[in-house]
Amino acid sequence: MTRDEFERYRRRFGDMVEAWPAPFRQQALALLAAERRDDPDAALDRLVLEAALTDGDDQALARKVLARVEAGPARASFVPHLFFSPAGFAACAAAVLVAATLAGYQVARLQDDPSDAELLALASGSSLADGGGVAADAQGEGSL
Amino acid sequence: MTATVRHDQARGDDELLAAIAAGSQSALSELIVRHGRGLRIFAARYLGNAGDAEDVVQEVFVTVWKQAARFDPAKGRASTWLYRITANRCIDQRRRRALRSFIGLNDVRDEVAAPEADAEATTAARQELAIVRDGLSRLPERQRMAVLLRAVGDLDIAAIAEVMGGSVGSAEQLLVRGRRALRDHLAMAAVGRERESS
Repeated sequence: MTRDEFERYRRRFGDMVEAWPAPFRQQALALLAAERRDDPDAALDRLVLEAALTDGDDQALARKVLARVEAGPARASFVPHLFFSPAGFAACAAAVLVAATLAGYQVARLQDDPSDAELLALASGSSLADGGGVAADAQGEGSL
Repeated sequence: MTATVRHDQARGDDELLAAIAAGSQSALSELIVRHGRGLRIFAARYLGNAGDAEDVVQEVFVTVWKQAARFDPAKGRASTWLYRITANRCIDQRRRRALRSFIGLNDVRDEVAAPEADAEATTAARQELAIVRDGLSRLPERQRMAVLLRAVGDLDIAAIAEVMGGSVGSAEQLLVRGRRALRDHLAMAAVGRERESS
């Protein structure tokens, strides 16, 4: 912070530097304490603050926030929000896996629904071509 | 003296939040002007991405607009509450970014614009600040958060602990370790520069 900036902020926030909001307060105090030797932690904190500074427009930020506030609540976007959180993503993946498994079982069950003849053939050890071990006529049924 | 002055500052923020809870957009605007810069710097350096930080801070103030009535001055300072919301949003944003990177939706790149050149008068000063920024980016996340809350948010240990949801002792440890790591990084960089020059 330069002396000109300090004076500008003093007109904006008042004479009591300690009452200024952060990070203006620390920058002003750093300027005022420039000649003083403070403790090393405070010096490092000032260095970190200086290094962390980025350009930005507070008024533009306020305008954007107020625009969002006036626009009202955003359209419900539950699915993307859920999807992009790790827990939500894991839950979605698990749900898809379970659904796919159940669907697979269901499809397999419909495709492979065994007939009585097939089950009987399997039980008797004969082929399905033989009629599954079922006698063709009622008389031969007890001839074994 | 300082304590009295800080109480006045806190009362000012409390009044703004009460006005926001009552639906005053001008109070919200004033709160943004007071704290927006600090929150944005904190978020930008914690996340390492200015665009993400801008989004996070916008979300923070929209949350403040919606939930100002829930702020209880008896439980702590307004600035601590604001930094707590911001820290939580930053953690969420970082997880989202990590997940998006994991599933290949975008790259994780650190992008924070440096201040304009005239803010950093000399090359030596610019180099030192660049080294500090590099050191910050290498700190473990929680240490980085503690260091930034102290340096940018001007929060004391108790407030840092409250923001980070831990004990005072653990917050102090994080701060001590973070500062030590930064000092080590600065010292190593200085040794490296000396070797290059000799």
